[in-house]
Amino acid sequence: MCSEKMILKHPMSVRIFHYLLIVSFLPLAVTGLILYFKPFSGESMNLTMQIHVLAGVLLTLDAVAFFLIGFERVVLFVKRVFTISVNDVKWFAVLGGYPQKLLLRKKVPVPPMGKYNSGQKLFGICVLIGGTLLVGTGWILWAFPHNTPRETVALMGTLHTVFGILLTIFLPVHLFLGIYMFDDFKAMILHGRIPYDEAREQSPLWVEKEVIPLNK
Amino acid sequence: MENKQYDYVENPFNVTRRQFMTIGGLIVALMVLPSLWVRSLVSNRNRYILARTKGLYRDDEKAKIRVSHANRAVAGYYRDFGGKPLGELSEALLHTKYINRTHGLTG
Repeated sequence: MCSEKMILKHPMSVRIFHYLLIVSFLPLAVTGLILYFKPFSGESMNLTMQIHVLAGVLLTLDAVAFFLIGFERVVLFVKRVFTISVNDVKWFAVLGGYPQKLLLRKKVPVPPMGKYNSGQKLFGICVLIGGTLLVGTGWILWAFPHNTPRETVALMGTLHTVFGILLTIFLPVHLFLGIYMFDDFKAMILHGRIPYDEAREQSPLWVEKEVIPLNK
Repeated sequence: MENKQYDYVENPFNVTRRQFMTIGGLIVALMVLPSLWVRSLVSNRNRYILARTKGLYRDDEKAKIRVSHANRAVAGYYRDFGGKPLGELSEALLHTKYINRTHGLTG
C-alpha cells in the first residue's frame, strides 16, 4: 500500500552541490587513476593532469560555496554521521540486510535507522575527512609545492594518493547502492522528494523524529 | 512550485543552538588548525633560508677579499698567463658553451 504523500529529502541546495560533485569527482577519480598508473605517453599524461586540475578547482569551488552558503546543513550532516549508537553495530552485523537481499533474496530484520544508515554514515565520514584532505593537499601539491618544505610536500602526496584511492574504491559501491535504492536516487538526481511510506521503511527514526508536516 | 509537490519537510530545528555552536566551532577549528600548521612549516622554512642568507652576508663581511678582481690569485693568472679579462686566451680557456642535455629526459 502506497500513499501519495511525499517528503522533501534533498533540498535544491544539496542537489546542486551533489550535481557539481558528480561532474567534478568522476573525472577526478578517472584522471587520478590514470595519473597513478601512468599508462599513456607524455602529452596524454599532461592533458590528464590538466583535466584533473580543472575538475579539482571545480570541486573546491563547489565545496567552499556549500560550506559558506549551506553551513547549517554541513553542521547537520556532521551531527548525523557522527551520531553513533548500538543500532549501528547491529546494522553492520547484518550489513544492512543487503547481502541477504541481493544474494539470497531473503529479508532479515534490520535495526531502525535515521536519515542515513550506518553504511552511509561511514561513507559520509570518509567523504567528509577524505574529501577535505584531498582538496587541501591537492592545492598544496599543485599551486604551492615550491613554498612548502620538501618533506611536507611528500607527506601531502602520500595522503592525496591514499585518500584518493580510498574514495575511488568507495565510488562504485556508492553508485551501485545509490541506484539500487531507486527512490532515493530519483530524489537526489531529480526532484528531491521521497515517498513517505518508503522513507518510513528505510529511515523510520528520521521520519519519526526529524520530519514534520508542511502545513502545521 | 516545489512547495506544492511535497507534504513533509525536515524540522528546521533539528540542531539546537548549543549543538550548532559546538559542532560549527569544531568544524571551523579543524579547518583552521591544519592551515596554521602548514603556515608555520612554510614560515619555519623561510626562517631557515633567511638565517642562511644572513650567515653568508656575515661571512662576506668578514672576508678580506670580497670581489674577484681583488683576488691575488686571479690577478696573478691574468698578469702571468691569461692576458686581460675577456681576452682571446681567457675566453678560450675559461668560457663555456651551452649544450642542450635535455633530449634524453623528454622521451
